[in-house]
Amino acid sequence: MERNISLTVNGRQRELEVNDADTLLEVLRDGLKLWSVREACGVGACGSCTVLLDGRPVSACFLLAARLDGRSVETVEGLAGDDALHPIQQAFLENDAAQCGYCTPGFIMAAKALLEEHGDPTDDQIRDYLSGNLCRCGGYPNIMRAVRAAAARTSDR
Amino acid sequence: MTIPAFDLLKPGSVAEASEMLLEHGDEARPIAGGTTLVILMKQRALRFSHLVDLQSIPGLERITDNDDGLSIGALATHRSVERSPLVQRRAPALAQAFSHVGNVRIRETASVGGNLAHADYRLDPPPALLVHGAEVVLAGAEGTRVVALKDFYRGMYETVLEPGEILVEVRVPHAAPAARTVYSRFSSLSANDWPCIGVAALLSLDNGNVGELALGLSGVAEAPLLAAGLERFQGESCSEELWDAVCDVVDEQLSPVSDLRGSADYKREMTRVWVRRTLRELAS
Ligand SMILES: Cc1cc2nc3c(=O)[nH]c(=O)nc-3n(C[C@H](O)[C@H](O)[C@H](O)COP(=O)(O)OP(=O)(O)OC[C@H]3O[C@@H](n4cnc5c(N)ncnc54)[C@H](O)[C@@H]3O)c2cc1C
Ligand code: FES
Ligand code: FES
Repeated sequence: MERNISLTVNGRQRELEVNDADTLLEVLRDGLKLWSVREACGVGACGSCTVLLDGRPVSACFLLAARLDGRSVETVEGLAGDDALHPIQQAFLENDAAQCGYCTPGFIMAAKALLEEHGDPTDDQIRDYLSGNLCRCGGYPNIMRAVRAAAARTSDR
Repeated sequence: MTIPAFDLLKPGSVAEASEMLLEHGDEARPIAGGTTLVILMKQRALRFSHLVDLQSIPGLERITDNDDGLSIGALATHRSVERSPLVQRRAPALAQAFSHVGNVRIRETASVGGNLAHADYRLDPPPALLVHGAEVVLAGAEGTRVVALKDFYRGMYETVLEPGEILVEVRVPHAAPAARTVYSRFSSLSANDWPCIGVAALLSLDNGNVGELALGLSGVAEAPLLAAGLERFQGESCSEELWDAVCDVVDEQLSPVSDLRGSADYKREMTRVWVRRTLRELAS
């Protein structure tokens, strides 16, 4: 069935026509051209499709868009200001935390949720929270560094 | 669209959801978090013409403390249980068990009722609920009934849920003040993989002797298991020999299957290791 939903995407309210079987990822990519939301495993395990739903991290690859009427979604595209990257993006850049970059948007969104929950996380908290985000290039040490740097920066603000 | 087309139905009440399920029979399923259901439909392992959206029924996600126990709404997410100060204080093993499920995104989405109704043999939460003597409240066209969780499972992926019946609440009786609980899971693959084995234990001590003792196990039988026959150890003094005897009683009740997380023999052996560890920890 087709239905109309109202979804706030990166702060902007959108009226969308979706099919009941559409995933949130399909709506964000195919409908709104938000290419940072990437499908890899497709089954909730790898985190490359991580977006924030009302501030909480979720896998867009299997959420049904038709159930999200009235909710708010954030993707990496919504992070940067007019002339500056978001502190987490900046920290990823400065710490070379991306190799091919496929996993990076998912890590950044997961890190954002982490830092909202734990302003000054321990290494164990970072590892535990991000354990469901996989980097096929194996760039974990730099990702850890980037998240620590982002935590230092965001807690200073 | 990668998922074969279906219609999403939005009931306003449990009774309406139940009617919708009965109307569409085998062609319909209730959907809670969808972390199992949608993925299996996406993989085309399952196909339904109608999904009945339990999230559109208000009030099913509450966690409250009643005089005699916790009440957890079926739609409460794993994350809300894991982070609930109430659950952390009243039933720490339960908060631990939910915090081990998959990854943070799955836990933000998956529901308590969906976890139980899925009835997989290697889930983290059921053992901790079993040692607390949890009950599930099932609502259907014929009314509401309360079933002990240990009697809810009928076999692999099978429960006593009747057509049109919906799990609406989990009741978790408070443990006696002297009782301590713990949940330990053994992963044989990656850290956030499904457990190879999950062990929950509840133990109270009376002058160093065993008072109440309960063991819940996951991954080692067709369905989550509450070990029977442990009353016989009441009054015995805690010792390595006693834990061996407990392991012998537990071992008789196991029927593990070999899968990619370990062979049946390996799981039997590991069950001994983990039961002994959890009991040692609680007795120390
Ligand atoms: C990547 C990944 C990793 C995972 N890792 C783990 C792990 O480490 N440990 C672990 O324990 N589990 C793990 N799981 C499984 C997870 O716990 C279940 O998918 C989840 O609990 C199901 O809950 P849900 O609300 O999403 O259920 P749904 O997918 O919505 O439903 C599951 C089933 O239950 C039925 N159902 C749902 N709610 C009700 C209700 N209230 N009444 C009657 N029937 C109902 C549905 O019709 C369906 O058949 C993992 C899952 C994924 C995808
Ligand atoms: S693509 Fe969604 S979690 Fe892997
Ligand atoms: S940078 Fe290539 S997958 Fe992570």
